[in-house]
Amino acid sequence: MRSHRWPALRAAVVLFLALLLQVTMVADLRVAGALGDLLLVVVVAAGLTGGADRGATWGFAAGLAYDLVLDSPFGLTALTYALVGYAAGLAGSALLRTSWWRPAAVAAVAGALHAVLYTAVGNLVGVAYPFGQVPAIALVQAAWCAVLVLPMLRVMWWVHGRGEPDRLEVLLR
Amino acid sequence: MAISPPTGSRTRLTILVVASVTLIILGLRDVPVVRDAREGAARVLDPVTGAVDTVTSPVRNAWHGVTDYEDLKDENQRLKAEVSEAKGNQVAEADATKQLSELSQTLDLPFAATLPKVTARVVSGPRSNFSHAVEIDKGSDDGLAVGMPAATGAGLVGRVTQVTSSSARVELLTDPEFRVGVRLATTGDLGTARGQGRDDPLAVDSSISPRTQVPAGTGVVTSGVDRSAYPPGIPVGTVSKVREGSGGLALELVVDPLVDLDTLSYLTVLQWLPQ
Repeated sequence: MRSHRWPALRAAVVLFLALLLQVTMVADLRVAGALGDLLLVVVVAAGLTGGADRGATWGFAAGLAYDLVLDSPFGLTALTYALVGYAAGLAGSALLRTSWWRPAAVAAVAGALHAVLYTAVGNLVGVAYPFGQVPAIALVQAAWCAVLVLPMLRVMWWVHGRGEPDRLEVLLR
Repeated sequence: MAISPPTGSRTRLTILVVASVTLIILGLRDVPVVRDAREGAARVLDPVTGAVDTVTSPVRNAWHGVTDYEDLKDENQRLKAEVSEAKGNQVAEADATKQLSELSQTLDLPFAATLPKVTARVVSGPRSNFSHAVEIDKGSDDGLAVGMPAATGAGLVGRVTQVTSSSARVELLTDPEFRVGVRLATTGDLGTARGQGRDDPLAVDSSISPRTQVPAGTGVVTSGVDRSAYPPGIPVGTVSKVREGSGGLALELVVDPLVDLDTLSYLTVLQWLPQ
């Protein structure tokens, strides 16, 4: 196992840069009225490389950072990201020695799942997010996650190193 | 390929879920610490986002060039036709403006005449798929405060919900949480307009009898009734559809906003607060 330094600092740098890019660049790149979600890609990649525990933790931290710059209920993104990161981590545990495209497929499902989850939980806490817009958002988020998750896995290895459990390294080397 | 998390993972997830739910409850109650945290984040991020915006603008421009080409072509043709028409109307409009100004002074219309205003540039659009707010480049140093309405020459945009010294956040009227008291410009009937999300029209819950005829195209303006959050007379939209409200006792109006929120570059904040 390669020695690895300052994972917390690296994680903070990745989160900050992802947040900056999300609110400046990605927020302006709409397709069919919907946006991609770079922070969600980070969370899914964290779950896939580090398991459910790490996915949930990254999800909570990334969601909290995103909530600080949004106008939606504070904590809502932290909750939904944590759940999706956890689910991605569970799926990552099942990816040992499988084909290379499975992480992309899992990420796409996670992207779509987040759109549904966010709308549903938002409505539960009293914000009437329209369900009619969910299909477009789910499709766009799924596409962003599927395309960007593979390079983001490498970013996660830069943050946490390639220690165990590291099931995807062999597939993507 | 069994998927079963270790017990430790479940414990951590439970803790994170409980923490998130606690934050949601605190946020919904608008506790000062959450508000302060968001304002602090805005103060820290604003200068950095400005620089990153500049650096990433070629990427965004290229993207819009690809995704908006057909729209831009159509818009260009439409604008050319509008310019021709506008030239013909210029003389008549100059006269109408003079008359409107005189009328405003006579009737003391608060929106049209006497309110102090601050014009601001929109520096950032909605930041997520579920966000319905824009960031502007003026803040409390320029006299802005939470609760002030924002509009363009076309009509109401929304209201200020967060202010730092040099920037502010404006909640758009498409936000599902947005509410504004309105009246029909023709009959004076009152109602409450609520946002229904991006690209969707406003819904107006009214007390208008289902037997009343409300033609499509009827103008809707802010009502400004007692303790209203908005001054009276700001154009909001035009009625596009009329349907029976729940219970069938009154009409529900579908109203298309007058302001094109997708192309918002500048807006004007009216320095007016609820009395």
